[in-house]
Parts: sequence; structure tokens; C-alpha cells
Amino acid sequence: MNSIYLDNAATTKMHSSVKAAMIEAEEKYFGNSSSLHGVGRAAKTELDKARENISKKVSNKNHKLIFTSGGTESNNFAIKGLAEANKNKKHIITTKIEHDCVLNTTKFLEKNGYTVTYLDVDNNGFVNLEQLEKSIRKDTLLVSVIHGNNEIGTVQDLREIGKIVHDNGSLFHTDACQSFTKVPIDLEKDNIDLLTINAHKIYGPKGVGGLFIKEGIKLEPLLHGGGHEYKLRSGTVNVPGIIGFSKATEVIGEKEIEHMTTLRNQLVNGLKDVADSWLNGASLDCGKRLCNNANISFMYAEGEAILLYLDALGISVSTGSACSSNTLEPSHVLKAIGLKQEQTHGTVRFSVGIDNTKEEIKYTIDSVKDTIEKLRKMCPYKY
Amino acid sequence: MVEKMEEYSKKVMENFMAPKNLGEIEKADGVGKVGNPKCLLGDTLLHTNLKLKKIKDIKKNDLIISHGGKYTAISETFNRNVNEQIIVLKNRLGEIKLTKEHLVYAIKVPKKDKFLRTKNKKTLIPAWYHSEQLEKGDLILYSILSEIKDAEFLEINSIKKKLDYKSKTIPSKIKLDSDFLRLAGYFLSEGYYSDKTTKTHLAFCFNLNEDKLVEDVVSISEKIFGIVPTIKKNTTKHSQVVYINNVFVVRLFKELFESGAKHKDVPDIFMTLPLDKQKHLIYGIWRGDGFFNTKIPRGGYSTISKELIHKLKILLLRQGIIPSVYFEYEKTDKKGQKHQECYRIHVGGKESTEKLAKILKIDLKNNKPESINSWIDNGYLYTPITSKILENYSGKVYNLEINTAHSYNTDAFTVHNCGDIMWIYIKVSKNDKGEEIIEDIKFKTLGCAAAIATSSMVTELAKGKTLTQAFNITRGDVANSLDGLPPIKMHCSNLAADGLQEAINDYYKKQGREILKIIHNDNCSCCNKEKNCNKKGGNI
Repeated sequence: MNSIYLDNAATTKMHSSVKAAMIEAEEKYFGNSSSLHGVGRAAKTELDKARENISKKVSNKNHKLIFTSGGTESNNFAIKGLAEANKNKKHIITTKIEHDCVLNTTKFLEKNGYTVTYLDVDNNGFVNLEQLEKSIRKDTLLVSVIHGNNEIGTVQDLREIGKIVHDNGSLFHTDACQSFTKVPIDLEKDNIDLLTINAHKIYGPKGVGGLFIKEGIKLEPLLHGGGHEYKLRSGTVNVPGIIGFSKATEVIGEKEIEHMTTLRNQLVNGLKDVADSWLNGASLDCGKRLCNNANISFMYAEGEAILLYLDALGISVSTGSACSSNTLEPSHVLKAIGLKQEQTHGTVRFSVGIDNTKEEIKYTIDSVKDTIEKLRKMCPYKY
Repeated sequence: MVEKMEEYSKKVMENFMAPKNLGEIEKADGVGKVGNPKCLLGDTLLHTNLKLKKIKDIKKNDLIISHGGKYTAISETFNRNVNEQIIVLKNRLGEIKLTKEHLVYAIKVPKKDKFLRTKNKKTLIPAWYHSEQLEKGDLILYSILSEIKDAEFLEINSIKKKLDYKSKTIPSKIKLDSDFLRLAGYFLSEGYYSDKTTKTHLAFCFNLNEDKLVEDVVSISEKIFGIVPTIKKNTTKHSQVVYINNVFVVRLFKELFESGAKHKDVPDIFMTLPLDKQKHLIYGIWRGDGFFNTKIPRGGYSTISKELIHKLKILLLRQGIIPSVYFEYEKTDKKGQKHQECYRIHVGGKESTEKLAKILKIDLKNNKPESINSWIDNGYLYTPITSKILENYSGKVYNLEINTAHSYNTDAFTVHNCGDIMWIYIKVSKNDKGEEIIEDIKFKTLGCAAAIATSSMVTELAKGKTLTQAFNITRGDVANSLDGLPPIKMHCSNLAADGLQEAINDYYKKQGREILKIIHNDNCSCCNKEKNCNKKGGNI
């Protein structure tokens, strides 16, 4: 049976080069990077190399890159760590389209006396910059805005946002889990103070992530202990994982971006003639959309049903529909871009990867069309 | 993206992947249509642009206030029978009775001290919730009519009756300006008319101390109609009546405001006028019959017309004034005087009273700090649920389908009309014993895997059964035959048994026979996680 994996925004299959680097690391650099002996020092050297290699993707300067267990930890660390270390400021700004690990962190802080402003986005998912500027107060600790949205793929203008944040005297954090290595990021030019990245969305291992912290910004650790990472994060450092992460940052280059863009466009254009369907998020050609993301809503078919039918045909996708959730609540991102509840019902996210082929996309287009037709035939209305 | 739910059983997947009996039966003997869209009780009041209507009386193409405050056309109406517990929610604008699955636009307020403060509540984001998820204190959203359509003139029908040589003609076009709107307001509160040939007049009844209002009516009448009214004072009743004696004026007011105090109503064209114009209408209405206490401060208005009170509610909300609506039963007061049943509006709160005082041209100094629990933001009134009770109900429930909006206003809430939809078709024939059996059965469903699988399963269970046997198939039977369903799907997707019962009743109806009482019970054995589940074994 076919196995067409189109859920690369959820996670990716580890790249062979990453796997090879990690196997080598498990052999050679298994030491504890905090140990003084040669085995430990060898691991430490490789760790530093990896740190430098990843850092140069976003900056020429030497900023702190703290390795974590992934995007969720990095986002938690950035927000809670900053709040804990700067208790005089009690206001945080974020958006209505953040990943749950940001939204639930700010909700946690709300319970502890913080005020949080959730910025609106327009129908394409772009943050309202005017509202951002108006919302920043004297006691605004942090503005946290997701870079590339995990559901609808909209990529925010970090430079513009960062400038507004800095001009108004606050700090800027961005969650770049989906965009890292796909969209250029520059810590200096983009006015970023805290940057979340992770490995498993870019063909690296699961359980490895990082947080860049600009010079001079104080964070309180989430995990206290031996103080392994600059005294900001404790726990024996996952050297082989980090070496894998470092290798993974080299997987997506210009060629891969072009390949994914082509496939994504092929998919969206191929499904264009499905009646009563539309693409959510930024347009394909505006240059502000993740190269691998296609989020499409189909009326008169239900997302969970589409997902399971496609699954049976060997195609893996994901959905933001309420019917596949425990709360009967559709995705907050789809609501934020103004979709009505019934318009969210039949929403599917396709996220292509570097290994997908044109043939696979063609098969997917045909399968989606068949599935939608089949489900619409079941629908009592219209079809 | 969204929290994943429990997995489906093998049987659910089989029935979902290869549903049996999919399709429709042409010239079916019975069709049952079910789905979440059909869930309000028949007496629920909705604002249509014609008047306040009970949902059961609403027809296709009526206009209704929808999500977003616009008048939108109704494309379809539905109803179904239920025998189950329903939910009664109340807020300051009124109450609504609806089924447990019906979606209501609301905010669930977390049970944390922090959210005692309104400032913090305002940061919460509204969403659609099943009515059973909501509790006292959660915030309900009510969509405020936002349309603005100015009308400059009213056309007058000035054709004289035969043999009428006496009546003075009035201008054929009347300017719909602040003066006319004030007069309309006075009429809605204090006016009546007589259109007998011998006694044709419009009358405004004031107290003896309301000379100012009397003067206003007189001057408006002279200015607009060119007619000088007559005034009769009655010192024993402590009243004075202003009469405008003209057939055309009477006709105009009769057409605009209907007949009899019980049916006094604000005409549609007035409801969408610009806000500045509507201030004059509110002024007239309130000055006529309302009160305003500057000391407390508080405003109040009462009328026996349900239409008028609900229209006044909308007029006030458009001005950013938050009213409370009450209903009072007929009563006899201490002095033995009988009062008809009536509707009241109260306006309290700093911002609302200040705005109302400004409209009424009353000086108000109000520096008292206050806590607010309702507010208006972006075209919605946010107001807390004041009570939630469960009631047993047996009978029809209703819903509407709206072309573009998919949600609508009741007189107190914005509710949703979307969800899983199932239609079941049956063909009936007789077996050897002469019993009626389901010879063929088909379905069409829009929904998730559970919705499709339960539809498929119910058709399988019913095929070949006698109508009585088929009617007794419960939601529990369907779920059990599928080796269970995830708990969350028990309410929202497991409608197939209801659809079958509807189809059988539809058949009985077409035959002119008595319909059976729906006996399903959705607290089935397979969802032992459901709170109310106290019976084992599906068949109840």
C-alpha cells in the first residue's frame, strides 16, 4: 500500500545524514559533557561545535543557545523564565494563533496575576500591527509572536514586529519551530530577543530543541540542578541528539525549499477545482507562507472523516475540525482567522516534506477529490 | 492542533469505511431528518424583521437577526420530536429553552478568583458551547442589530373615501425627522386612536402636570400635519388628552403601529434608522410612559406589548445602553387595583444610565463607583447566565437554517444552527403475518466517522424489522452494536436512532395515523463515563 506522509508539520522522518551522525556520536561522544576526563571533553568539543553550527543559522554574534527538550520547553522557558526573573512587569502580549504551548503558558501566568493581551489576526493570519503598538504598555514584559504558523502556514514579518516591540521598550520572543531553516531569521536585524527552535520538524531527532537568549536578558531556569547549560538549564546534555540537531539544520537548503514549494503549489492548484473549498492562511505567492503548508477547507465534508478516508488510502494528513477533538471545539487558529464554526468542519492540513514526489502529490490530489466526492455524496445537502 | 479523542472500535471503522445502505429512496414512505440543527422549543421568540415571532411560526424567507447583527434570510426550517431533558438558560434579556447539544455563543468563565473581576473576564475569547456545558455565571453573547438604513420620508395614503368632503388633506410625504419620531414615541407610550366614521381621532393621554409634553405634541402636529389639536382636561382623573382629529393621520398611525395596546409595535423602518434619529424615538417612548430616578439613578419602562418591549430593548442596545427585561404576571395591588400582565425594562449601571439620561435630556451627576457584569463590545452584548435549570420536555423542537450566517438571535441569546445532519429514508411493506416491516432503508449523513457509522448501523439493525421493533431501537443499541463509541460522540453524533424514529413517524403521519411518542434515551450502557448513566443494557 502507498504510504504518503503529508504531516511534516507534526513531525518529520529523521534524515539519513542525521541518523548517521547520531550513530557515530553514540559511539564516539557518549561522555558527559560536564566531565573533566578526555571522554567528557570530547563530547564537550562536539557539543560546542554543534552549538556554533546551529547558531550561525541565525546570527554572526555569539548569543547564548540553550539546548532544551524541544519547542514546548523552549517556549515555556522563554515566557515563564523571563516572568520569574523580571517580576516588576506583569503584562504579556501574544496572539490568538499561537501554538498551545505558548497559549497555555500565558494562561498559566494569567492565573498568577499577569495580564495577557491576545492580538487579533486578519483573515490571512497576519498580526494586527496597529493593535500591537497600541497594546504595549510600560509594564509589558514580553511580546511573543509565532513566526511560521503551524496550522495555516502564515509567516509573520519578524522585523516589523520586532521593531515595534523594541521602539516601545519591550522584549520580543518568537516561536520559530515551523520556520527554522525554511525562512531566514536574523537575531540582530529582526530584533529578536528570544528565539525558540527545535529539531524534529527539520528531519532531526525528537526531544531536542533550543532557545536563543540575547546578551543581557535574564531568565530564571525551569529546571534547577547541575546547571549544565550556562546555569540556565540542568540535566545531562543530550550530546548525540544535539549533534543530530546540528546536522539537521543542513538538511533543508534552497533546493529543498524550492522542491517543497513546488509540491505544495501542485497540491493546492490541483485541488483548486474542488467546489466549495478554499485555502486558509497567506496566499501561495505572497512569499509569507511556509513552503510546506497547505491548509484547505472543504464544505459539505467533515475533517475527521476526510482524514480517516485518506489514511485508509495511505495518506497521512491532519485536521483542525472540532469533530476530531475531545472538546468539540474547532482549532483556535481557524477561528482567529474568521472562519465560522461550520466552515472549520472540513478543514485539512497537508504539510509536504523533502521526500515527497510529484507522483505522490498527484495521487493525493486524486484521492482527496475522490474522498470529498464520496463524502459529499453522503451529505444530505446539495451534493 | 486539537486535543485528540479516543480511538474508534473496529466495527465503527468498518461501518464508516464501507457504510451500508447509503443513499436515498425515491418516493420513500417515510423520511426522518435529524441533526443538531433542530433544538429550540417552539415558543422561543426570535426577532424577525416583521415582528417578534415564535420559532414554530417562522417560515422560509423570513428575515432574522443573525450573528454579526445583520438581517439575514432563512433558507430552511426544521422540527423534530423529543422526549428528553432540556435546558432552560436565563439572562437579563430573557430565557431560552433548548436541547443539551444546541450550540450557544458564549464564554466559559474559569472558576478562579481572578475571573471575579470583569476586567479579566473581558480577556476571554468567546466560542460555541453545547448548552449543557454552560453554567450560571458563564457569559452569553447577544448579537446587537447593527444595520443602519436611513429613511427620509413616509408616504401617506391620502385617498379620500367617497362622500368625504370634510377631511383636511395633509402632506402626502412626511419627513421622518426627529419631531415625527418623538411623536411616534409619545404615541407608542401614551397614544390610541379611534377610526369610527363619527369619531376619527388620534389621542395622546397625559397627566395634568405634563404640560410640556402636551405643548410638544401640539407644536409637532401643527408643524407636520398643519393641524391644530384639541385638548381636553379632566381634573378628577388628573389627566389631559390631546386629540388630532384627522382621518389620514389616524390611518398613518394605524398602519405604522398596528392596533390595540397589546400589539403596539415599532415599525421595521424605524429599527434600522441612524442612531441619532432613534434617540428621539427613545425620548418620546420614555418621556411618555417611562420613569427616571436621578437619585439612585435608574430608569424603568413598562408596557403590555411584548413586541414593544423587545424592540425597545434593541433600540437601547444600539445606543450602548444595557437593559434588563422582566415579565410580570397579572396581579392585584394592595389598593385592589388590577394590573394586566406586563413587560418591564430596567436600566441601571453608571454608563447605561448616563447614556439614557443624555437621550432624555436629564441632568445626571453620578459619581458612584460600581461593579459591572455586562458589557458591549464589537456588536455583542456580553452578559452572564443568571440561572440554568433542567426540565423534562416532550414535544417538538425547532431550528432554522440560514443561508450565509448559520446562527441567529433568540430574544436573549445568539444560538447556532449547525452540526451533524442525518436523513433516514424508509420503504414500508407487509410481511406474511400482515405486519408492517421496513422493506428498505437508506441514509444520508454529513458528519464524522461516528455519525456515518451510526447511520449505517441503524439501517442494518432496522432492515426487515417490523415498524414497532424498529421504533424501539435506541441510541444505546446502535452504540452497542458498534462495540461502543467515544464518550464525546454519544451526544453529538449518535442521532441515527432518532432519525429512524422520525422516519417511522413521518410514515404514520402520511398515513394519517397517530404518531408514536419518541422513547429514546441517550444515557446508554456503552458510555458509562456519562454522568447520568445509571442503566445497563441499552434497551430502556
